[in-house]
Amino acid sequence: MSDVVILGAGVAGHTAALHLSRLLGREHRITVVSPNSHWNWIPSNIWVGVGKMSKQDVVFPLAPIYARRHIRFIQAKAVAIRPYGDAESDRPAVDIVHTSPPEDGREERIRYDFLVNATGPNLRFGATEGLGPQHGTTVSVCTADHAVEAAGRLRGVIERCRAGEHQTLVVGMGHGTCTCEGAAFEYVFNVDNELREAGVRDLARVVYLTNESRLGDFGVGGMVFNEGGYQTTSELWTESLFRERGVEPILGAHVERVEPGTVHFETLDGTHHALDFDFAMLLPPFGGVPLAAFDRDGTEITQQLFAPSGFMKVDADYSGKPYEQWSASDWPQTYQAQGFDNIWAVGIAFAPPHQISRPLTSANGTVITPSPPRTGMPSGVMGKTVALTIADRIRRGPRAEAHRASMADMGAACVASAGANLRTGSAAAMTMMPIVPDYTRFPTGRSLDDTRGELGLAGHWVKLLLHYMFIYKAKARPGWFLIPE
Amino acid sequence: MSDKVQSPVSDLTGAPLPTERTLRYRRNLAVQSWKFALFNARILRMVLRGRH
Repeated sequence: MSDVVILGAGVAGHTAALHLSRLLGREHRITVVSPNSHWNWIPSNIWVGVGKMSKQDVVFPLAPIYARRHIRFIQAKAVAIRPYGDAESDRPAVDIVHTSPPEDGREERIRYDFLVNATGPNLRFGATEGLGPQHGTTVSVCTADHAVEAAGRLRGVIERCRAGEHQTLVVGMGHGTCTCEGAAFEYVFNVDNELREAGVRDLARVVYLTNESRLGDFGVGGMVFNEGGYQTTSELWTESLFRERGVEPILGAHVERVEPGTVHFETLDGTHHALDFDFAMLLPPFGGVPLAAFDRDGTEITQQLFAPSGFMKVDADYSGKPYEQWSASDWPQTYQAQGFDNIWAVGIAFAPPHQISRPLTSANGTVITPSPPRTGMPSGVMGKTVALTIADRIRRGPRAEAHRASMADMGAACVASAGANLRTGSAAAMTMMPIVPDYTRFPTGRSLDDTRGELGLAGHWVKLLLHYMFIYKAKARPGWFLIPE
Repeated sequence: MSDKVQSPVSDLTGAPLPTERTLRYRRNLAVQSWKFALFNARILRMVLRGRH
C-alpha cells in the first residue's frame, strides 16, 4: 500500500486528489490535508463581490465528496515537511495542526510515500501597511467571505451615490509585485456595470490602479492578436474597453500604504502619489504558505526545498539570468521538487523561475512588476499531470517517467465578465497559447490561431458555463473526468 | 506630503472606440451564439494541442 498525501484542496490539489482516486485502487490511501472545510470556485468570487451571487453559489463542503471518493480528509494545516523521516522512522512525514473543532490546535505527524504540495497562496496583506479587510481599510475578493464583505461595502457606495454624493472607487493591485491582474480587471468592470445598472455611474469615479506597466499586460507580458488581418496588441484592445467604459487606469504603481480613505503609491517614474477613495478593492501579493522542512536529525533544511518567497523549488531554472536570456525552457515540466523523486509542488505552490512580464523597477529601485499568474486552468492541468506521474510510479515502479505539462506548452483561457445578465451581459474573453511565450516557436511568442481576445455577450455565457461545469467536475459528479482541466 | 503629485491617470484618447454597429454585434444573439461556439471550440483545441 502507498500513502499519497496532498497538502491543499484548491483547484490543483483537489484535481490531483480526484484523479488519484480514479487511477488508484482502494489498496492505496489518498489523504487530503486542508485547513478549509469547503471548496471555493474562486473565479466566481467576482460575482459574489458585486452581489450577483451568494457565497453558497461558489462553495461546497469537501468532506462528502471525499467520503464518496474514498479519500481521507483531514482538516488541518501543514506546518513542516520531514522528507527523510525522523528519529522514529525513515518514512517521510508531514507535521500538521488541526483546524476544526474538537481537534482544533492538535498537532499530528502523518507519514507519506508521495507528497503533493498544493497549498496555494499565502495572502500577504501585511506586505502593505493598511491593506486588506482584516487589519486595513480595503476589501478583497480572494475568498468568498472577503467577497461578501466587498459586496456589502459596494452596496453602501451605491446608496450614497443614490443620495447624490460623488464617490471614488479604486480597484486593482495592493503591491508592486502582485499577480492575478485579470481578477482585478474583471472586478473593476463588474463594479462599473453595477453602477450603471443602479443609474449612478455619472456620480462615481472608477480608477484601476495596477502594477502593470501597460494595460493588457495581465502578468503575461501582454499578447498579440490577429484582428481583421492585422496584428494588434492586448494593450490597444484593453485601452479601448477602458475608454469605452470610462474607467481611469493608473499604471506601473506600487502601493506603499493605505490610510483610511487614502491610498499612497509610487509609480515607475519614481514619483509618489496619494489618491482618496470611498471604496477600494486591492488584491494582496501572494507568497508561499509557510512550511518548514527538517532533516532526519531535526536540522532545518527549509532553504533546500523552498525559495525565499516560500514557494517550493521544482524542476525550473532558478539561475537568476537576465530578462534577455529568459526562455520557455526555464519553466518546470514535471513539478518534481529538487532533490526528491516523491515530492511535487503544483498550482501557486511552485516557485516560478522568474516573471513573464519584463521586470521593471522604479527610479527609486522599487520592483514594480506583475508576478506570473498560475491559477485556474494551468493549476488543474498541473494537478492532473502529477496525479498521472504518481499513479505510474505506484503501478510501474519508481523509475516510471514523469508526465510533463510546462506552462510554455499549455494554453489558458481568461474570461473576465463585465456584466452578468444572460441577454445584456458582456465579458472580455481571452485565450492564449502558450501561457509562457516561446519565441523559438512563434514570432509573436504565442500562436496567433489560439491567442485571441473577444468582447461581447458570448464571453459572459462562457464564464457562466465554466462556473457550472467546474463546480460539477469538482463535485465529482458522473463523468466528471471527461471535463478537461 | 510635499513630494506628492497628482495621480497619473493614463491618457486613453488615442484608444479606438467601438462603433454603434460593433456594440450591436456584441449583443446580437445570433452573432454571439456563433462566437460562443467558436470560443469553446478554441479552448477544446488548445486542450487537445497542449503537450501535456
